Amino acid sequence: MTLQTYLLLGLILFSLGLYCVLSRRNLIGVLIGVELMMNAASLNFMAFNRYSVNDPATGQVVVLIIIGLAAAEVAIFLSIILNLYRNRRAIDVEELRELRG
Amino acid sequence: MLASVNTLSIVFGTIFAPLAAFLIAILFLMRSPRLAQAIVLAGAALSVTGSIALLLRGPVEPLRFLWFASGDIQLRFGFLLDGTSLMFGVAVTVITLCVMVYSLGYMSHDPAKSRYFALLGFFAWSMLSFVYAVDLLQAFIFWELIGLSSFFLIGFWYEKPSAANAARKAFLMTRIGDVGLFIGILLILQYFGDFDIPGLLNADSGLVSAVAPATLTAILLLIFVGIVGKSAQFPLHTWLPDAMEGPTPVSALLHSATMVAAGVFLMARLHPLFMADETARTVVICVAAFTALLAATMAMVDRDIKKVLAYSSISQLGFMLMALAAGSLFAGVFHLITHAFFKALLFLCSGLYIHHLATNDLEEIGRRGGRRMRFTTVGLVIGGGALAGIPPLSGFFSKEEIFAQLGHDGFTLFTGAAFAAAFLTAYYTFRMVFLVVRPAGGDCGDLNDAQPATDGGHGGRAEPWSMVTPVVFLTFAAAFAGFYGTDIAAGLGLSPAHHTLASALPAVGVVLFGVAIAWLDFGRSNARRRGFIAAVPALQTLFVNQWFVDAFYRAVVVRSTGALATLMHWTEAKVLDSGFDRLALTILEWGKRATRVQSGWVQFYGGCAVLLFGTLALCLYLDVGIGGG
Amino acid sequence: MTEQLALYLFVVLALAGGVMAAGMRHILNAIIGLAISLLGVAGLFLHLGSPFVAGMQILIYIGGIVVAIVFAMMLSLAMTMRPPPANRLKVWFAGLCATLFLVSVSLVLSTAQFHVVETPPAAPSWAIEHIGHALLTHYNLVFEALSVVLLLAIIGAILIARQEKPTT
Repeated sequence: MTLQTYLLLGLILFSLGLYCVLSRRNLIGVLIGVELMMNAASLNFMAFNRYSVNDPATGQVVVLIIIGLAAAEVAIFLSIILNLYRNRRAIDVEELRELRG
Repeated sequence: MLASVNTLSIVFGTIFAPLAAFLIAILFLMRSPRLAQAIVLAGAALSVTGSIALLLRGPVEPLRFLWFASGDIQLRFGFLLDGTSLMFGVAVTVITLCVMVYSLGYMSHDPAKSRYFALLGFFAWSMLSFVYAVDLLQAFIFWELIGLSSFFLIGFWYEKPSAANAARKAFLMTRIGDVGLFIGILLILQYFGDFDIPGLLNADSGLVSAVAPATLTAILLLIFVGIVGKSAQFPLHTWLPDAMEGPTPVSALLHSATMVAAGVFLMARLHPLFMADETARTVVICVAAFTALLAATMAMVDRDIKKVLAYSSISQLGFMLMALAAGSLFAGVFHLITHAFFKALLFLCSGLYIHHLATNDLEEIGRRGGRRMRFTTVGLVIGGGALAGIPPLSGFFSKEEIFAQLGHDGFTLFTGAAFAAAFLTAYYTFRMVFLVVRPAGGDCGDLNDAQPATDGGHGGRAEPWSMVTPVVFLTFAAAFAGFYGTDIAAGLGLSPAHHTLASALPAVGVVLFGVAIAWLDFGRSNARRRGFIAAVPALQTLFVNQWFVDAFYRAVVVRSTGALATLMHWTEAKVLDSGFDRLALTILEWGKRATRVQSGWVQFYGGCAVLLFGTLALCLYLDVGIGGG
Repeated sequence: MTEQLALYLFVVLALAGGVMAAGMRHILNAIIGLAISLLGVAGLFLHLGSPFVAGMQILIYIGGIVVAIVFAMMLSLAMTMRPPPANRLKVWFAGLCATLFLVSVSLVLSTAQFHVVETPPAAPSWAIEHIGHALLTHYNLVFEALSVVLLLAIIGAILIARQEKPTT
């Protein structure tokens, strides 16, 4: 498999994640999309790590960091969702429209 | 050099003394009428001395000052002291002083005396500046200011609706004429490039040599339109009878002697230009002749003494314009000066009657004992004789000059018209005199038992000294001014026409014929006291209704202007205003709709960002973008 | 041969999981799809030469994050609710955005030239000790910062999700 192929695969996964973020009504669905996108980014990094980099530790470290950050982000995201659910009884994205003109 | 400087100071003193008086009176003395009167009279007296001094010095080189220059055009102001302006200047200042002295008595019980005298000062300044102007634009500016003074003075009793309307009508009608004059002046600027009057008149390098004949005709006709407006010729004559709403001294000063004479004076100034153009001269003489006859017919049926005198002014101005157009500068200027004196005299006499007897009506004046006011009646008779042209009064000499010039090339249509108008002049003048002097059934009034007058007069002494003195002075002037004809001609650098007894006879005959008919109609003890024209009822109606000119204007001009104004108003309110309002509202609507983009839907915002990024990537791929490829 | 097959399997898993995550209406199905995709990507990591990272992916991502998501879903009763009807316009718009993005970036990708190292580096540099050594020397700052971030995330999560005490 060439580098291009891995990158393309990552791109497809990213687009799928993007579609999730933009079209889902449920906040958890949006979270799923975000995770997919981060995952695709990790894949990209690993591909470059294998094909373009002198020191293979670089890419792996980056991916580990990404995973750690994803975890932190999910924690916050989920606590926000819980808070919203408690206050509004719904976690529908279309109901959260207070920042409007 | 020394003499020139002195002349300048005299000129400044003459012209600006009344202005200073006006400013002081209007700014500080509105509550002190006695002081205001004194200041303005002092200014007028200064003007009189100044103008006489200038006349005695004789003509000098024009004095010019540069106002501003723009490219090739130079606008100047200055003073042109030649024969015409020097003589007419004296006439203006003297009559102004007479009128002011007269007004001391006439307006003695008017609460707004200060404003009146201040406005007279303002008028005196404008008129003198106009007379002595060297630059055509300067003359035009003061021409307009004269019209403005007339507006203020006609509408002096502005609470009276008739007076306010008359003032407005006068201003608007003269304004119509002024548009023509202004366009003419602008054409002069375009084709000649300069406004300097001596420069324009120069035979070799002046306007005549610089423009095509057709253009010259156009310019002169446009200037004549201004003259028609200011000097109340047909068709812009209807404002002058209405202007009699103003106080009688104002009528004496403005609307007989000076302001309306400004048009004639302008034509006298530009006389060499008119002489160069046959077409313009023909138009002028036709209009003037027709006006002279028209006004005379209206005078002979009117019962209001001031209106008769107003029509008479219109008619006599027509005479002056005929003389100028026929070719004689001297005849026109001579008649201008003599007319100033005797018409002012007649108006002041009428003012005495009105002031004391509380009526303008000729028959009433007679019935209430007008003839017992001796100084006034003598003035009326002398002035009337001068107006009619009875020798040896001044009017005879000046009218003789006019007839001589008109008959110069043989008897023409215009000569005939002039004779007819002279006949009518004599007729209506002596109709007026006989109605006053020989009232039907004698007079039944006791002079000392008068009621309050209609326009500001008051009972009391019939002929107070302040009003009688100017009348006496002007009576002498009207009687004897004719003997100075040769001097006046010399002042203009011309010589009077050669007269013989034979050449004077036709005119005298016509005049005496007019007087005789008036005697038959009004003067005899058993006179019918109806004009001979009453025998032709159609003509009588026509004359009494002023040939329906005013009615025509009201029906056609005023209505159509009103309709146009309504249309404009509708266009503005409905189309423009509401159109713009709707445009604004539409934009607001769109703005409101556009704000819906900020919907608060995060996914939409995110999607837009992604779209942007994707488009940018596409552009990157396709090598599309700003800057060098 | 088996290596090729395994590779293709992992690719299929990744893609299929992604499609499931994007397309499924019910939220639990979507989460399952996410998990499958993560699994596929873990296999790809393995193929790319790093078993450690693959292991971490499975452990933390699938074992931790996905489980947390499922918990949150249960706590918000999203599982029991009927999925709300999708707004057609939004779906189309999202599809358009994603497609455009995909197409444009892939086009750019096709013209990109990357510096490719022909043979991968020697085995010792792929060892776990190497990663640990790098983390503690070269990437020390990032490592420490990450730990601070995680701490803050936990504190933040607790604060946000805390029940309001009723005031007495």
